[in-house]
Amino acid sequence: MASSKKRDRFNAQSLGMPLNDKVKEARVLMVGAGGIGCELLKNLVLAGFGEVHIVDLDTIDLSNLNRQFLFRHEHIKKSKALVAKEAAHKFNPNVKLEAHHANIKDSQFNVDWFKTFTMVFNALDNLEARRHANKMCLAADVPLIESGTTGFNGQVQVIKKGITACYDCTPKETPKSFPVCTIRSTPSQPIHCIVWAKSYLLSEIFGASEDESPEVDNSEDSENAKEIEKLRQEAQALKQIRESMGTEPFPQLLFDKVFKDDVIRLRSMEDMWKTRRPPEPLDYSATAQLDSREAVEKTLKDGQRVWDLQENISVFKDSLERLNKRMSEMKATSKGDAAEPTITFDKDDDDTLDFVTAGANLRSIVFGIETKSRFDIKQMAGNIIPAIATTNAIVAGLCVLQSYKVLRGEFTSTKEVFLSPFAPERLLASGRPREPNPDCPVCSVAQTRLLVDMSRATLKDLVEDFLQLELGYGEDLTVNHGNDLLYDPDENENLARKLSELGIKGDSFLTVVDDTERNPRVNLVLNVQEKTGLEGKPIKSLDIAGKQTRDEMPTPASPIPRRKTSVPQSNGHTNGNGTSSSIAGKKRSADEALNGDTPDSKRSKIVSNGAEDGVIVLDDTDGAILIDDD
Amino acid sequence: MTEVITDPTPPILHGPSDKEKKYDRQLRLWAASGQQALEDAHILLINSGSGTVGVETLKNLVLPGIGKFTIADENTVGQADLGVNFFLDEDCLGKLRSECCVRLLQELNPDVQGNWFPKNKNETIEQLFDGTMQFTMILYTAPITRARMELVLKYGQQRNVPVISIHSAGFYSYFHINLPGNFPIVDTHPDSTATTDLRLLTPWKELSHFAASLTDNIQSLSAHEHGHIPYVALLLHYLAKWKEEHGTLPSTYKEKTAFRSRVASGARTDTPEGGEENFDEAVAAVLKTISSPGLPSSVREVFDYTPNKMESTASFWIIADAIKQFYNKHNTLPLPGSVPDMKAQSTVYVQLQNIYKAKARQDAAEVLKTVRSHPRGKDINSAEVESFCKNAAFIKLIRGSKSSEASPTNIKVLAEREFENDANAPMMAMPLSLFPIYLSLSATTFYPTSDASDIIGTIKNVFPDAASTPRVVEAAEEVARANGGELHNISALTGGMVAQEVIKIITKQYIPIDNTCIFDGITSRTQVLRI
Repeated sequence: MASSKKRDRFNAQSLGMPLNDKVKEARVLMVGAGGIGCELLKNLVLAGFGEVHIVDLDTIDLSNLNRQFLFRHEHIKKSKALVAKEAAHKFNPNVKLEAHHANIKDSQFNVDWFKTFTMVFNALDNLEARRHANKMCLAADVPLIESGTTGFNGQVQVIKKGITACYDCTPKETPKSFPVCTIRSTPSQPIHCIVWAKSYLLSEIFGASEDESPEVDNSEDSENAKEIEKLRQEAQALKQIRESMGTEPFPQLLFDKVFKDDVIRLRSMEDMWKTRRPPEPLDYSATAQLDSREAVEKTLKDGQRVWDLQENISVFKDSLERLNKRMSEMKATSKGDAAEPTITFDKDDDDTLDFVTAGANLRSIVFGIETKSRFDIKQMAGNIIPAIATTNAIVAGLCVLQSYKVLRGEFTSTKEVFLSPFAPERLLASGRPREPNPDCPVCSVAQTRLLVDMSRATLKDLVEDFLQLELGYGEDLTVNHGNDLLYDPDENENLARKLSELGIKGDSFLTVVDDTERNPRVNLVLNVQEKTGLEGKPIKSLDIAGKQTRDEMPTPASPIPRRKTSVPQSNGHTNGNGTSSSIAGKKRSADEALNGDTPDSKRSKIVSNGAEDGVIVLDDTDGAILIDDD
Repeated sequence: MTEVITDPTPPILHGPSDKEKKYDRQLRLWAASGQQALEDAHILLINSGSGTVGVETLKNLVLPGIGKFTIADENTVGQADLGVNFFLDEDCLGKLRSECCVRLLQELNPDVQGNWFPKNKNETIEQLFDGTMQFTMILYTAPITRARMELVLKYGQQRNVPVISIHSAGFYSYFHINLPGNFPIVDTHPDSTATTDLRLLTPWKELSHFAASLTDNIQSLSAHEHGHIPYVALLLHYLAKWKEEHGTLPSTYKEKTAFRSRVASGARTDTPEGGEENFDEAVAAVLKTISSPGLPSSVREVFDYTPNKMESTASFWIIADAIKQFYNKHNTLPLPGSVPDMKAQSTVYVQLQNIYKAKARQDAAEVLKTVRSHPRGKDINSAEVESFCKNAAFIKLIRGSKSSEASPTNIKVLAEREFENDANAPMMAMPLSLFPIYLSLSATTFYPTSDASDIIGTIKNVFPDAASTPRVVEAAEEVARANGGELHNISALTGGMVAQEVIKIITKQYIPIDNTCIFDGITSRTQVLRI
């Protein structure tokens, strides 16, 4: 097509034909169609990437529109993936786009599916999904370009199994949690009251209260066991009050319960208040003179100002009524359904936000703690991460630049780039990719896909036949399925059971830990694939062949590499270009141009390791992500 | 894009609450005041060439809700435009590029007003500068004619309007900020950990008394009380003891570490945790808080500067002078007054906060009194004085651009410095200069399709060794190869960086770069230079 050739002119000119062709042939997956995703999709489409798959489970919200430019006001509540696809398609009809309004963790997106892509872009906003995509890309051995932004900050890194560090090579920060007694009995900071209003009050009244909030640490020690028991009784009493929801006295019943009766009980425990200011109960009837409708409306519009006691009580009552109304409507429409409808906290849902703001502030007043504006409480309760178009534009652009290196297979000359908006001398800090951490529990493992005939495969088939006989493992080994222990030498009663009876399905991941003291193997991650009517043995590896000698032999050969001790990471020198050998007068090709940074990187080519060397730490680190945008 | 739009005129958002919601994620960065500044702004883009980088910059300003924008562009839309510019579609072919881009950009945000120029053949872009239109900032992209560039720069100088030039070709880009005058910033958003100023070495009476009252009978306090003395009081207590014993306060690193051990030894270990959190906090705070801050160099620069006659009437310089007088009198800046979170009983913590706040108010009142005594000081808003006092240690002055700076002589000096650094770069493990990219791109400002030898020829005018400097030759060849064409991705990225700086300048928050940013898309690197 002549016009499409013309359209492609600048790309072909600057990228050079070989790379431009690679771009056109590439089939890529973009996980997340939010802030970074919108920018990235635009860039991918205009760069002429052949096929782009978009996965996002989210729908569009008003607060997205300040940066997610593929979406408009009329798209609110529609699927991000689908709207993004439609909007972007028009700008390059030659690109094939496919959208999935689904969770990337769904089983349809299995390792084989990941394997069909040239590379994957993570444009996500949460730790869990990032970790999942990281794990899947490692299992499928597909390069991953990981990115994130928060406010003016952002970062991009390329993850290639065995060559560069993976997402989990550095531990991530754990989200903050508070002891249950701090939240329920002895708050001292505004955040304690906010967590109380959100994770206790709101969820006891409108939520499925058995959901335990990760923000509240319910672990008990002997010292607070009694108090925790008391708190359980309190929560029970609250459930009783929940029964009267929708009736006239409900707001006052609830108010008196949590801001008066519970407080009086707490205050009666004199030991607690010897050195603390005792809490002051609030009286609903004393403030019977509630604000007029107009006054409440006015208060609600003023979210930047800190409301006073009267205003908080009025908002408490008003938002409670709104939530009540919603709940009864939900109940009416869900008639017959077994599950009780619930309302959970959403930072962009005004009703829940107003309720949490008023609830938290009233509790703060009870305990003599500083009260906060709705604007501030929204940030604290919703873990809001500031997000703007500019940062996303920069990060998405960097992702595409890295993708060119990936297409050429030059993983060691990719860059890990951090935006450094507050270092006025540079704006970007780009460095060499980090090497895989040999202690990484996710990437420094061996992996194989396993064909399993679910109708007959037993744990014994797996442990004795496959692992010990075929792969040559010794007696000391452990098999885990997620956090569940399936087998170890002392836990062998399950051996005769079928894997299907042990909760294992297609696409389950099992981890095999070699517990031999001398020269143990790295952990082995097995990705189960269902295969009916498998001939011969019910378990076969897709990636490892051959019968192996057992560990008792003097020099056991093993297809699974042995662990090595960790070596400190060499930092190398960041960013040096080395000397350039370009000769004046000779016209440079695009190839050379793109290699502009390589003289030095060729020299220091990282010895591929990854699976070959790794010590495994089994602690499953969990944590919050620092860099986010939705 | 028009096809996905089901309703051609999206509803204007109602009420402050909807707007607050739409802009929520950015209000958390630049607050309502920054948003207002954006909404009051009018940006002019003079677009040319393949025209993407300017439009991508505007996209990032339309989304957060800039008030108005105008695109001046004489080109009509061709096939090649569609391959590189997202804000054009098939229907635009043969039409005015400015009008089409305005239409599609405006769809991004119905709160924003877009306009284009020229609308008919009788109009010329030069007419925009006849004084009938007001602009907050002007962006122009290369290529441009020399005459037009000079007109824009002159207009910017005369009308006090910042001008940003942007150039994107192939894998390279740069942008240059031309500030017409000195640009002082009060609200620089320093890192919150840097702003702690507790004055532990120079406590005032109320603070000393309060701390002493908490630590008077430190040995006989109950476990709960002892574990809840705020670390500020603990440090003041041990500092007083140290002074009794040594006659002076700890000042050297050695003394401070000894002092730190002294504080640590005060913690009780018979607790269930085997230690006390407030003591841990105190120990951790020693090195950071037990030092006299001195005057930051950026503040010194403001104090040392003598504003010209026009500047001296601006409230910034009147307040800055009052703060300078405060500093000269007290040998310290006004107290910011905030207290970081710490382990303490909430009532005690609130009392402590009030003591710091009261002192901060007292300092601000003194500064305000000085301001009021200035002949033009009576109309200055006291809130502005307060906010200045709070940020006093972090104020920043960016010097305006002078046309002499981009003169051939200065470019030569800069080039020599950069290449001298490069000679030592491998030894110092420093990255190589990106100045050759700037030289090569700016050599094509007026002639976008020059070949490498033309580019080197132009560079030779300012840097005679150009032809024998391999990195200059390399950059020149790369620019020649792009032949004036933009890569969408590079222009999108550059547009993100330019818009970020535009927002900093318009909101007068955060510190903009000074004054040129060069980007190399091959190595994903930037360099900022003052040119």
